[in-house]
Amino acid sequence: MDPPDDLEDYLRRDSALSRQYGREPAPMPPHALDRRVLKFSRYSQGNAPYLAPLALAASVLLSVALVLAIAFGPQSAKRADDTPHLVRVAARADSDAHASLTRKLARAPSDWLADIAALRRAGRNDEADAELRRFHSTYPDYAAWELRRRPGAPP
Amino acid sequence: MVRYRGGDAQAFAVLYARHKGPLYRYLLRQVRDAGAAADLFQDVWSRLIATRGRYEARAKFATYLFHIAHNCTIDFFRRDLIARRGAFPDGIDLQPEPEVPEYQRPDGIAELAEQQSALLAALGTLPHEQREAFLLHEETGLTIEEIARVTDVGVETAKSRLRYAIRKLKKSLVSARIPAAQALRTRTDLKDTLVNGSA
Repeated sequence: MDPPDDLEDYLRRDSALSRQYGREPAPMPPHALDRRVLKFSRYSQGNAPYLAPLALAASVLLSVALVLAIAFGPQSAKRADDTPHLVRVAARADSDAHASLTRKLARAPSDWLADIAALRRAGRNDEADAELRRFHSTYPDYAAWELRRRPGAPP
Repeated sequence: MVRYRGGDAQAFAVLYARHKGPLYRYLLRQVRDAGAAADLFQDVWSRLIATRGRYEARAKFATYLFHIAHNCTIDFFRRDLIARRGAFPDGIDLQPEPEVPEYQRPDGIAELAEQQSALLAALGTLPHEQREAFLLHEETGLTIEEIARVTDVGVETAKSRLRYAIRKLKKSLVSARIPAAQALRTRTDLKDTLVNGSA
């Protein structure tokens, strides 16, 4: 059986064994090892551990978004107008420019409406209607009440 | 450690300065090879740095640090055993180290005693679990409960290991009290002294 005081005596740290161990040489790590460890700690401090999961999450999110964009993007969900965006912009710009040019070449609204009224007075209603349609396509924003306001406008 | 975890780089330097000596001696006296101790020392701090985000201040920092050190030395002993087994040709079964290998072999102690103190020589002959318990207590002042936590064993096991360690060390020191340099001229003489009790 173990002597009861053996361990307890030792654990008080004033035992002969502890004193003898305390007199032993106490080697320390070489300076080169110190430098290596401290350098590594500084290097790692630059890469904060809490940023790693964030970086990973951001990468995953971007990857998923990219995959979804490829899988369910413009190729699968066809738009009504499949013309590429830039081309459509150019087309719209062209059509706007065309309308503007047409307006410039066309007669002034007042003159044009006077002509239409003259056609109606002359009983040439078909021609008057055709002219009125052209007038509308040239001046789509010309309000109906304006037309009505004009002298000789069609009823 | 909490400050270091929070991004205070200077806190690491303080921790390192405080614990580098005990850790180095623990490793050196556990593996008894300066090169291996240096590698393990670096490995322990690297693991501490890499896992600092998971650190929780539930116990003494020393228990956290030396738990990592314990795991590193266990890995070392496993690798060492595998390497030594691998050095033998197939068909030869190398027996694992006996639980109390060198202590009862006086020539082992005498050989080491020529190079270092009797205490360190005797310490080197203990089974590494007992040596570890002794070193943890001496180098860090850890209690039995803390040693048990560091080494992943029950309190009674830790207590038993420490008890065996101190008993064997005391016995070895009594045996080696006759100074080898004065009383013995040859290794054979020393052997005779320790085995038969006469020079």
